[in-house]
Amino acid sequence: MSNETATAYPGVAALVHKHLGKIPFTASKHSTDAVIHVAPEHFLELVQGLKERRELAFDFLRNVTGIDMTEEGLRAVYHFYSFKHRHSIQVDVNTPPGNPHVPSITSLYAAADWHEREAAEMVGLVFDGHPNLKNLLLDEDVRIHPLLKAHPLQKAELFQGIEDTSAGFKF
Amino acid sequence: MMPFADPLFGMPSWLDAIVRVVLIVLAMTLVVMYLTYGERKVVARFQQRLGPTETGPGGLIQAFADALKLVLKEDIRPTNADRWVFELAPYATFIPVFMVLMALPFAEDWGVRNLGLGLFYVFAILGLNIVGIMMAGLGSGNKYALLGGVRAAAQMISYEIPLVISLLCVAMITSADTGNEIGTLNLNVIAALQEDRPYVLLQPLAFIIFFTAMLSELHRAPFDIPVAESEIVGGYFVEYSGIRWSMFQLSEYASMWGFSVFGSVVFLGGWAFPFGTDAHWSLQLATTMVKSLAFIVTIFWVRTTVPRLRIDQLMSFCWKVLLPMSIVQLLMNGIILAYDWPQELLTLTSGAGAAVLVLIIVKRAIRRPSKDLMGTYKTLGAPAQ
Amino acid sequence: MTVWPEERTASIDSFNTVDMTINVGPQPPATHGVFRMVLPVDGEVVVDCEPYIGYLHRGLEKLTENHDYRQSMGWWDRTDYLAGMCCEQAYCMAVEKLGNIEVPERAEYIRVMMAELSRILSHFMFFGAFGADVGSFGTSFIYAWRERERIYDFFEEVAGDRMFPTYLRPGGVQMDLPEGWERRVNEILGHIEQGLEDFDGLLVGNEIFVERCRGLAPISKEQAIDWGLSGPMIRATGLAHDIRRAEPYSVYDRMKFNIPTGKNGDVFDRFMVRMAEAYQSTKIVRQCMEQMPKGGLVLNPDLPKTLRIDDGECYVRTEGTKGEYGVYALAKGGNKPYRMKLRSPSFCNLSALKQMVVGHYVADAIIILGSLDIVLGEVDK
Repeated sequence: MSNETATAYPGVAALVHKHLGKIPFTASKHSTDAVIHVAPEHFLELVQGLKERRELAFDFLRNVTGIDMTEEGLRAVYHFYSFKHRHSIQVDVNTPPGNPHVPSITSLYAAADWHEREAAEMVGLVFDGHPNLKNLLLDEDVRIHPLLKAHPLQKAELFQGIEDTSAGFKF
Repeated sequence: MMPFADPLFGMPSWLDAIVRVVLIVLAMTLVVMYLTYGERKVVARFQQRLGPTETGPGGLIQAFADALKLVLKEDIRPTNADRWVFELAPYATFIPVFMVLMALPFAEDWGVRNLGLGLFYVFAILGLNIVGIMMAGLGSGNKYALLGGVRAAAQMISYEIPLVISLLCVAMITSADTGNEIGTLNLNVIAALQEDRPYVLLQPLAFIIFFTAMLSELHRAPFDIPVAESEIVGGYFVEYSGIRWSMFQLSEYASMWGFSVFGSVVFLGGWAFPFGTDAHWSLQLATTMVKSLAFIVTIFWVRTTVPRLRIDQLMSFCWKVLLPMSIVQLLMNGIILAYDWPQELLTLTSGAGAAVLVLIIVKRAIRRPSKDLMGTYKTLGAPAQ
Repeated sequence: MTVWPEERTASIDSFNTVDMTINVGPQPPATHGVFRMVLPVDGEVVVDCEPYIGYLHRGLEKLTENHDYRQSMGWWDRTDYLAGMCCEQAYCMAVEKLGNIEVPERAEYIRVMMAELSRILSHFMFFGAFGADVGSFGTSFIYAWRERERIYDFFEEVAGDRMFPTYLRPGGVQMDLPEGWERRVNEILGHIEQGLEDFDGLLVGNEIFVERCRGLAPISKEQAIDWGLSGPMIRATGLAHDIRRAEPYSVYDRMKFNIPTGKNGDVFDRFMVRMAEAYQSTKIVRQCMEQMPKGGLVLNPDLPKTLRIDDGECYVRTEGTKGEYGVYALAKGGNKPYRMKLRSPSFCNLSALKQMVVGHYVADAIIILGSLDIVLGEVDK
């Protein structure tokens, strides 16, 4: 039994499971971190637990990545670090295709602001509750998501902007 | 009293005035051109560079190339600038500076006019400089320029007060030398009175105050807040280009030169010290030039070394340090002169005042021990693993 | 001096004033590249700050997804272009983690040495540019460039290029160090130490500089963690967190060095921490030279012509010059990564700019921005 738990919740994930067992999630591990896979509806609760439980104390948001998993929908990947316990964890949030909504964690981590804006514009994730979800790196009026796999690489970005929005310059 | 020499070559006095004005304009243009070249050279040496080397031998005609480029550049006026204010501002800045040069004695008989109230005239006219700078700041229709203009106005008006008081101190002690208990405001006479010893020996405190306020009036580091490049991109002349911009540069360098000559006349004995009033005019002229050059190089030196103050630090330095110290100097002079105490006492008291001023600055340095901070980078942090 | 917005409105309600909006950037000399911020000011006091980034956005991540693992090297040292080697190291480590590629020991030492020289490069750039921000008319800049040139010359000798050496490879480094490199590096380190002395005298020993920077925009540890700051920014608050020590990578666990920390997290502490870091970097370079195996391979010989990685995921974090330089990589077969994400330290540090500058003078806002030590190539990706 104990052996089975260890494989189901490797590394820090076991600690998370111990303290936040009520929240349904699965866990895995890759070459650098333990990964928690959680559904969007439980995500905010999980992050709150990660931050506020003293035994976990993930106080530092390292990174937010938006990934286009094509037919599996969009995925938001979060990396957290704890200065207190010096451990880190990765949280994967898979959104169903066509419904890329993830709750925003800007209320918990001020650092999430720009990270979420970037993920939103790059792959089209929607962070519910984000105060100001406008474009950060791209032009303000462009509604393209360049890091979607469907977005071509070799095409003038100007034309893409025109095709995707009504606003802007027309030849 | 030593009047200026008779009209040159026996010309009528109006023609004589015109010739002198033309001469001074030519001299000023040349000096300003070589000041820009000199600044680039001197600053380059301070920064371990070479400066201009390509144009002419040692880059000597670089200044002419720069001037030519500036004259040939397009004169741009922004659409939302206030036309007349914008276009007249360079002249309003330049004319007061030029008018100051009219009254300066470069040698015993060399100058445009010997004014009886020369000292008073100089600082009255210098105050007008602000008008042109404010015009440029407000008329450009640019927020950086506006900020620069407002900063310049606040700064120049504040520093005018210690500047004027420090000059009054000198005017005061001339009465001990003239012997008639009235003293003089005539710059030529002030220079001649310093034949034996320059007034900086009697009034070191006033001299320090004068030099500091002068840096501020010239917008030179560490008081270059109105023209701060890294903050407001050049300040009030940010919208100017070509010949109008070079007018600002011209007035900046001309006023630097003017101030330096003025300072060397008032404090360093001008043309009279150390070769005496009987020296040949060329020696006197050279003396003045060398002294003003010393001022200018010191200004460059300070500029390359120190960072910029913030506007509130600048203001509190003026109102809390310079102004009280200058008033103290004025009072000390008054007391000593009223009781006819010996002149050595002037040196002593003013020197003590200067020491106090330096101590104020150093005390701040001790309270925030910058000396102790030096070298800490080697040991900062957790001990080696 | 700090004027907080709430005090401001209370004191001026009898006197009607209008805030003026100043647009700083993207070109002015103060913004260190193509960064733009809009500052509504009340007189000289900043009451709000809206940063705009993206002027240098080159689609780094999209390009990486569409290129071979080795082709992408060139994009990555253009992120933090002041310290190309550090970025290359992070990228190569990510690829090596994905593909379980071994790196020869000598190559690891060369990498660390190059990364530390890059750190010195970057920090010297900071001293120079920060001095210019504070207003020391180019002198600090020239002092900085004088020493940087020597390192750049060495990089050119080693890799053939100065700023973007593209010297590292997944699995090692491109080629071995040139003949007589020990002497060259020793020479450089001597100059660097002298350069630090010079900066110590020029800036730290200057009363005006200290007066301007001390106590300006202090941040607490909690704030720094919440805002996602890292690197010298977070160490200035007194938190001795350095990824080289906390989660050692490469051969950093064999190096002896201090983690410099500040006390108040103010601008001056950030400056001092970087000074101390540059000094510690010289020590690390010396240790690398001592410990480095004499001879041996510098590139893993077992690598195939085309690197194909079946499945893998990693989040590699390195201590970049500006903070935590992280690379999240996901591979799903083929010769290209499925996704590569850069966690750039400048980006995160810059996102806290607004909280730091509000309530300060315009002149101080420029200094605070300078103290973040941003590199726009890294911010905009």
